[in-house]
Amino acid sequence: MNLYLKLLSGSLRSRMQYKMNFLVSSLSYGLIMAVDFVLLAAILQRFDDVKGWNLYEVGLLYGISSVAITLYRVFCVEVHNFERYMVEGEFDSLLIRPVSPLSLLLTKNIDLSRIGGTIQGILILVISIIGLKLNNVELFLLLIYLPVTIVSGVLICFSLGLITATIAFWTQRIKDFQTFTLYAPFNAANYPMNIYPGWLKIIFFTVIPVGFMNYTPILFLLNKGGDLWNLALPPVVGIIFLCISLCFWKFGIRHYHSTGS
Amino acid sequence: MIQAQRLNKHFKIYETKKGFIGSFTSLLSSKHHIVKAVDDISFSVEEGEFVGYIGPNGAGKSTTIKMLSGILHPTSGEIKVGGLSPQKKRKEVAKKIGIVFGQRTQLWWDLPLRDSFDILKEMYKVPDEKYRQFLRLYDDMLQIGKFMDTPVRKLSLGQRMRGDLAAAMIHNPDILFLDEPTIGLDVNAKTSIRAFLKELNQNEKKTILLTTHDMDDIELLCSRVIVINHGKIVLDGTLEDLRKNIGLPSVMEVQYRVKPNTTEIQLEGIERMTWEYEKLVIDYDRSLLSSPLLLQNVTQWGEPVDIQMKEPDIEQVIQKIY
Amino acid sequence: MVYWILLQKSFMRNMQYKVAHLINNAASAIFGFVFIAIWVGVLQGKENESPYSALEMTYYIAAVQCILWLSGFLTAGLNIQNGVRNGAISLELARPTNYFLYVTSQEVGRLMYNLFFRSLPIGFVFSLTVGFYIPQYIPTYFFLCISILFAIIISINLHYLVGISACWTTEIDWAHFVNFTLLVGLGGQLVPIDLLPAPLSSITPYLPFAGAIYYPVMIFLEKISSEVLLIQLIWVVVLTSFNLWLTEKARQKLEIQGG
Repeated sequence: MNLYLKLLSGSLRSRMQYKMNFLVSSLSYGLIMAVDFVLLAAILQRFDDVKGWNLYEVGLLYGISSVAITLYRVFCVEVHNFERYMVEGEFDSLLIRPVSPLSLLLTKNIDLSRIGGTIQGILILVISIIGLKLNNVELFLLLIYLPVTIVSGVLICFSLGLITATIAFWTQRIKDFQTFTLYAPFNAANYPMNIYPGWLKIIFFTVIPVGFMNYTPILFLLNKGGDLWNLALPPVVGIIFLCISLCFWKFGIRHYHSTGS
Repeated sequence: MIQAQRLNKHFKIYETKKGFIGSFTSLLSSKHHIVKAVDDISFSVEEGEFVGYIGPNGAGKSTTIKMLSGILHPTSGEIKVGGLSPQKKRKEVAKKIGIVFGQRTQLWWDLPLRDSFDILKEMYKVPDEKYRQFLRLYDDMLQIGKFMDTPVRKLSLGQRMRGDLAAAMIHNPDILFLDEPTIGLDVNAKTSIRAFLKELNQNEKKTILLTTHDMDDIELLCSRVIVINHGKIVLDGTLEDLRKNIGLPSVMEVQYRVKPNTTEIQLEGIERMTWEYEKLVIDYDRSLLSSPLLLQNVTQWGEPVDIQMKEPDIEQVIQKIY
Repeated sequence: MVYWILLQKSFMRNMQYKVAHLINNAASAIFGFVFIAIWVGVLQGKENESPYSALEMTYYIAAVQCILWLSGFLTAGLNIQNGVRNGAISLELARPTNYFLYVTSQEVGRLMYNLFFRSLPIGFVFSLTVGFYIPQYIPTYFFLCISILFAIIISINLHYLVGISACWTTEIDWAHFVNFTLLVGLGGQLVPIDLLPAPLSSITPYLPFAGAIYYPVMIFLEKISSEVLLIQLIWVVVLTSFNLWLTEKARQKLEIQGG
C-alpha cells in the first residue's frame, strides 16, 4: 500500500510537469463525451424515449458505463497501453522485480487526464437522478446500489482490458483489438440492451459481458422487469470474469517465459 | 553463487508468408525451424568472482542473462542463483540479484532520481536505516548526490548509468548481472564506472557477471572470462588463459613525415608490420610489449606526425579463438 | 509529379497494417449497428412523427459509417505539429514543392487506402446485414462523387488548419479534439442535422461540418437537392485560400524567427 502511494505521487508529479497540456487534454476528453450525450438528449427530447427508456433512464446506463471505462482508463493506463511493453521490449524489466508484473503495471502510472471523462459521467448520473426524482421515481435502493454497479463495471472493464493486453504476448499489437473488445462494447452499453438485435445481445451477455454491468441491475431498480437476483449478477459476473482474465494473463506470462519477445 | 547445468534454450521461428492470405495461413501453419540460442552450456560462479561473459552479437549472452534472472525459462537444464531456481522462485531470486541493462534504463523517466530510489526502496522493502546508509555510501562511490533531484530524462548518459547502477544496488544484492554497462559512454564515464565496479567486487565481495564489447572492461575488471559463440562456451578460464589463447592484440598506426629507411626492427611482441606509404601499421601483443616501450622505439626510427592506437573488438578476438 | 508519388507511398505504407484494420472494421461496423439500434428503438411506433423512417435512418447511419473513414477520421493535425516540434517544417517549407500540397497529398493517399480497405468493406458488411441504399437516378452518382470530393477537401482543410496552427501555439491536441467533436456533432454523425434542436438546426446547414459528412450522405440517399453542392464549394474555396494564406504567414514567421 505504501508502495502504491509512492508510485501514485510519483506519477502525479511527473504529470504535473506538463500542467497546461494536462488540463487541456482532460477538458477536451470530457467534452467529446458531453457532446455525445447532448446529441442523445437532442434525439430523446424530440422522440421522448427509446424502446420505453426515457432520457434520464438512459442517462443512468450512460453514466455508469462512462464512469466505469474512464476509471479503468485512469487507473489501469499501463494495462491499456500494454502494447508498448511488447513492441519496445520493456516487459523484461518488469520480470526482474520481486513483485508480480501485474501489480507493477497497475502501480506504475495513472492517467489523470482521463478523469475529465469520469467527472462527465458522474455529472450525467447526477442530472439523471435529479430528473428521475422530479418524476417521483423511488431512488433509495438505486442510490445505495450505484457504487456496486460502478465497481462491477470497472471489474468487467479491467478484465476485458487485461484479456486484450494478454493477446499482445502473441500479436505484439493490440490497439485494433481494443476497439473491438472495449470501445465498441462500452459505447453499446451506454444504451439499453433491449434495442439490440439478438446476436448482439448474446455477445454482450456472454463473451463481452457489458450488459450485466448496468442494464441488468437498472432494469430491476427502475421496475422494468427482473427480480432481486438482477442485483447479485453484476458483482458475480465481474468476479468470475476477473478470475478468467487473471488465468489467461498467467497463461500469457508462461508463454512469454518460454518464447521471449 | 551461480550454477548453470546443461542449459539449453531453443526458439521456434515460425515462417511468415508474404501477402494478405499469407499472413492468415502463417497463423495456422506450424512450419518452423529451431534456433539454439543457448546450446548445452554449464558453468558455475563462486562468491566474489568477477566474470566477463563475452561473445559476438547474437551469441546467446543476453538469453543466458535472461534465464539466470528468471525472465526466460530454459528449454532444459538446471539453474541455481544464490541456491534458488530463478524459474521456480523468481521473486525470491529477484531480491538477491541486481540487474543493469546498459541499453535501457530501469529508472522512472520523468521523475527525479531520488523518487526512483524511493519507489525501489518500497518495492524491495529496504528499512529506513539501511536506505540512509545506502544513499551515503553510493554518493561517496558514484557521486550521485549532485543530480539526485534532476529528472532522469535530463541526465547525461554517464550520469544515468551511475544512477542505474546505484538503483540496482538499493537492496544490497550479493549478485550483479550487468549487460553492457559501459556501452556508449565516454572515457571519463567508463573510468568512473569501472572504478566503482572494482570497489564493489573487492571491498563488498559482490559476485558480478558482466557482458561487454569493450576489451578494456575485461582486462581491467574480470578475473575470469567465459567466451560464448553460437550458443556454446568456447573458452572458460582466467584472463591469463584468454591471453595465452589469443594474446592481447593491439594495433598502432604511425604516420611519419618521411618514410624512415630503417629495415630491421627487432622487438619481442611485434606480430606484423605493414607499410602504407608513410604510414606504418604495427600489430603487437601488449602482454609482451608495452605500449610506451613501442612508442619510444617508433619515435627513434623517424619523425612521426601522428600516432593512433586501435583496440581490437570482441568479434576479432572471438575469431582468433578458432 | 511529386505529389502523386507521395500519395502512392502513403497508400502503400498503410497497406502494411491491413489485417489489423480489418479487425478494426468489424468494430466500426458494430458502432454502426449500435447507432442503428438506437434509431430503430427511438422511431419504433413513432415513424409518422419523424421525417425519417426507421429504414431511412438505417441507411443514413450505414452511409455515415462509411464516409467517416474518408472525411471524419483524418490524421490529427495532418502531423504538421510534429514537423513544428522537431523543426523539420522549416526545411519542408523551403523545398521547391508546395507545402500545402505536400502535406495534403500524403493524407489523400491514406484516404484512398481507407476507401478500399475501410469504407468499402464496412459498406459491404452493412449491405449484407441491414441493407444499403442504392440511388435510383443516374445523375445522383455524379453528384455523389463531386460531393464526396468536396467533403474530403473540406475535412482535409479543417485538419490542416488545426495542424498549421501549431506554428503559433505548439500544442494542438485541444484544437484537434474541438475540431473532431464539432465535425461529428454538427456534421450529422449520429443525428441528421435537421433533427437538432431549434437554434442549432438553422445554423448548422451553413457550417463546413455539414459539408464534410451530412451533405454527401443526404445526396447519396437522394433526400436533398444537388444545390447544396454550392455550399460545399464555397467552403472548399474559402478554406483552401485561407489555408494557403496561413501557410504563407507561417513561412514568414519561421523565416523571421528561424523556427
